[in-house]
Amino acid sequence: MKFKGKRGCRIFLGIFLLLSVVSDSSAATAEGDAERAREILTRIDDLWRSTSSTATLEMVVRTEHYTRTMIMESWTKGREKSLVRIVSPLKEKGTVSLKNDDTLYTYLPKTDRVIRLTTGMMMGSWMGSHFTNDDLVKESRLAEDYDPKITFSGVRDGREIIEFALQPKPEAPVVWGKIVIVVRAGDLLPVVSRYYDEEMNLARTLDFRDIREMGGRLLPAVLRMVPADKPGEFTEMTYQAIDFGPELPDSLFSLMQLRRM
Amino acid sequence: MRLNTMAWRTLSRNRRRTLITSLSVAFGIFLAVTFTGSGDYSYTSMINTSTVMGLGHVSVAEEGNNARPSLARWLRDADSLRIATSGLPEVSGAYPRIMGQAMFAAGAKSAGGMFMGIDPALETPQHNFFLRSVVDGALFAEAAGRGALIGAEMAEKLNLRPGRKMVITVTDKDGELTSELLRISGVFQTGDHAADSGIVLVPLDRLRQTLGYGPGGVTLLAVYTDDLRRVKKIQADLTEKLSPTGRLEVLTWRETQADLAGLIAVDRLFNNLLQLLVGLVIAAGIMNTMLMSVLERNREFGIMLAVGMSPAQVARLVLVESFWLGCLGLALGIMLTAPWFYYMSRTGIDLSALVGEDYSAGGVLVDPVLKLRLFRESALAILGTVFVLTLAAGVYPAIRAGRVPPARSIKEV
Amino acid sequence: MLLLSLALKNILRSRFRTWVTILAMAFAGAIMIFYASLLEGWMQAMETNAVSMEMGEVQLHVPGYRDDPELYDVILDPGAALARAESAGFAGSARLLGSGLAAAQENSTGVAIRGIEPEAEARVVRLHRHVKAGSWLVPGERNGVVLGQQLAVILDVGPGDELVLVGQAADGSMANDLFVVQGILKSVGQGIDRAGLFMPADDFRAFFALAEGAHEIVLQRFDPDLPLDDAVNVLAGLFPGLEVKSWRQLQPTLARLLDLSDVSLAIMLLITYAAVGMLTMNAMLMGVFERIPVFGVMKAIGFSGVRLFGLVVCETLLQITLAALLALGAGLPLSAYFARRPLDFSFLLRESSTIAGVAFEPQWYCRVTPGSVLLPIFFLYAVGLVSICYPALKAALLSPVRAVHHQ
Repeated sequence: MKFKGKRGCRIFLGIFLLLSVVSDSSAATAEGDAERAREILTRIDDLWRSTSSTATLEMVVRTEHYTRTMIMESWTKGREKSLVRIVSPLKEKGTVSLKNDDTLYTYLPKTDRVIRLTTGMMMGSWMGSHFTNDDLVKESRLAEDYDPKITFSGVRDGREIIEFALQPKPEAPVVWGKIVIVVRAGDLLPVVSRYYDEEMNLARTLDFRDIREMGGRLLPAVLRMVPADKPGEFTEMTYQAIDFGPELPDSLFSLMQLRRM
Repeated sequence: MRLNTMAWRTLSRNRRRTLITSLSVAFGIFLAVTFTGSGDYSYTSMINTSTVMGLGHVSVAEEGNNARPSLARWLRDADSLRIATSGLPEVSGAYPRIMGQAMFAAGAKSAGGMFMGIDPALETPQHNFFLRSVVDGALFAEAAGRGALIGAEMAEKLNLRPGRKMVITVTDKDGELTSELLRISGVFQTGDHAADSGIVLVPLDRLRQTLGYGPGGVTLLAVYTDDLRRVKKIQADLTEKLSPTGRLEVLTWRETQADLAGLIAVDRLFNNLLQLLVGLVIAAGIMNTMLMSVLERNREFGIMLAVGMSPAQVARLVLVESFWLGCLGLALGIMLTAPWFYYMSRTGIDLSALVGEDYSAGGVLVDPVLKLRLFRESALAILGTVFVLTLAAGVYPAIRAGRVPPARSIKEV
Repeated sequence: MLLLSLALKNILRSRFRTWVTILAMAFAGAIMIFYASLLEGWMQAMETNAVSMEMGEVQLHVPGYRDDPELYDVILDPGAALARAESAGFAGSARLLGSGLAAAQENSTGVAIRGIEPEAEARVVRLHRHVKAGSWLVPGERNGVVLGQQLAVILDVGPGDELVLVGQAADGSMANDLFVVQGILKSVGQGIDRAGLFMPADDFRAFFALAEGAHEIVLQRFDPDLPLDDAVNVLAGLFPGLEVKSWRQLQPTLARLLDLSDVSLAIMLLITYAAVGMLTMNAMLMGVFERIPVFGVMKAIGFSGVRLFGLVVCETLLQITLAALLALGAGLPLSAYFARRPLDFSFLLRESSTIAGVAFEPQWYCRVTPGSVLLPIFFLYAVGLVSICYPALKAALLSPVRAVHHQ
């Protein structure tokens, strides 16, 4: 099944892990419960719709061995293109990660080289975070790969929420067994998403926090990824500023541009 | 005829000597059969083990693929190539395959390795080592399906078993990254660490779609034969037959697995040298015996010459004797060797306690069970060498016998 | 003494046949000395490639490192550890190990990066003498790397070419830097050939942002006679917190293979000499039968069976000794010659092949050792003496009357 649905907004990574799924699920027709899920997801999609964005964000990575903080700028356009540049620390300033369709490039200012990521590096860490390069490449395809279903609707922990379970389509090339997404019932803002392996063991959790207004919309400003097998480790991204809908030329997402940045 | 009778008479007159000499010939044959036989068996088995890991005895691929394998080098029409090979009588199997590097992932775990795309309807355990080594589940049934046969060590690393899913990520024909979902249909265990931790068998048609190949696209056609000695001929025939088809390379296992070929060549050289050495020593023994018998019979030869036999005839008599000595040795040798060979070709000796199960040479797992097998060429070579050496050993004594002066000989002893 | 002089007389009188026997023994002996020396040389080359090339005799790691290598699993203060090992009788070198991606013009591939101190490394292993093109790492010089043979082919680079390395540093940052290929190694073994990349330890530390520690310490006994197991025990006592493994424990298949070399030599000797033994037996048997009347007379004049037996044995011993001297005379110079110049099998083996994962090259050197010379000689005597038993018994058990009337 090819994706033909509405375009969801492209902010960056974490949000996309959720939104690209949600926004496109409308394309997947289903009966009864799934019908309702689709309706709600369509509304969420409307809430987030945008075709381009620019943002500044801070990423904190904490592992057993180090804690590091980076400031990054990002540009996204449509579903297939994104560009992230490191602003600080100084050591890595100017490092750029470019995603164009399914290809990922890294520009290294120190050596003035562009490296195209090969199959062998896909499961490697993206910029030292708990996200893999594969997450980045795959996220735009999540919509094609999962069927949504409402599994809970009501009050939990004092909050009115809706819980979706995303089941991978039988033939979708995804590593997860299930993704569970919880959104607030009122404004449909995401609360948490959990990733399970095929034996239904929790593999990682993505928390959405600090909902506030940015770029004219109400959004969770903080995304925190926690791997289940490494307690105490996380990657946290905080949006400092975001702007929806700027005009961005396609040429921005090209190899030529990489060297020019 | 008369010479034969005379020769036999001499041989039977000194039975012990004849027996010991022919026993040494028999021993030589026993050794030659054991050494050549273990070579024939183990080389064949190593070559076959290595070829059934994917590349075949002869492989047809796009030009340059052997030097620099790449998924961007692929053949468009495997089926017509396959049909072309089936016309050759020496070919016992030809399989369209796609081999390349990939990333395999399940849940949060991942591993790098090699994939081999195969058509389950065509493949046979005889020509596919992994099909023989299935320890859990089975091979996938459909070439267009999503099954996968995975090595045991990789399965353990990725926490997989039959029924579980796995994502394979490859670089397609245009260099784009692409992923595909597979479901484990079975697990194989060959005992070779590299294979068990790094190879996954994938349905051919599914892989063709993933890589963007057409319906007939493959990276290679692996061609097999029951008779290793025919690979050169198959290579020549295929090259001639397929050369109009485009820029192809038709290579034998010697070229695709040069490591192994070199190793075998060196080992074979040593094996043959050792046998030759033993052969020479045995020949020296025969010469000794013949010479002895000739010197003993100076008187006899003198009379023969005196009654009108030519020196050439006398010399021939001695040669005939050594010929029959060789024959006797051969008969004894066969009697001695046959039960040994029978046992060794069927049961063999298990050396795994000595060398271990995971001993490899030239990158190929070596069968720890020592067995024998003899090619017809090798058997003929042994036979030929035995006769040449026995006859050669008789030459000097024969000349000596021919040179005996008739009159003096009689007076002497 | 009488026996000896009699035996000597008999041999000197002897004919062509005796000389053929002696020459055959000498020939087999010489070839076997050569073969044993070659096998010795080959086994040493294998052991060298496996042990002295890279692995070293004993290795120290943090427990668990070998199963799941992590950049952070370091041996703290390797300098102190090396000093302690040195005072216990071991030369050592500390290594840093990491993985990353190497990219050249067109190609890129995963590499196993090894950071070493060239000077310390040269004390324990011989990799620095195993360079095929370019040169080995120079102490003090920065940003040069040395690659495994296959890796250079995969990346399509040669000395002087640039290489970008990318990896993940200890602080989580993306490590990347430009290096220059300084040298390319000859074949060492599958692992290094395909993925090995060597750089100075300082470069490694800078690249991976790893301030201290080492991942591996490689040790070499000062005293080569100290048994390996004892060495491991001494070191295990010295470094209770570390995993101490000898190369035999790290490479069991190869260790088994090398152990088998003595067995395989013995089998070869037995087989070849079995043929020699038959020849000797036959010749001596003939010699005995020929002289049955003589022996008969000797027995009649009071020579005991035992002494006759002794006489035949003495004759054989003399023959074997002569053969052994000839074998030494031919086998030793032959082996010595090929100990300097290699037997070159490159016409069969283009690059190099591997056995049990260890490389071996197409040039083979002989190595003359006491064992490689004495073992073939010893076997020559043993087989000769066994094969003489029957003819000697025959001579000893002769009935004097029948013997005199023989023929």
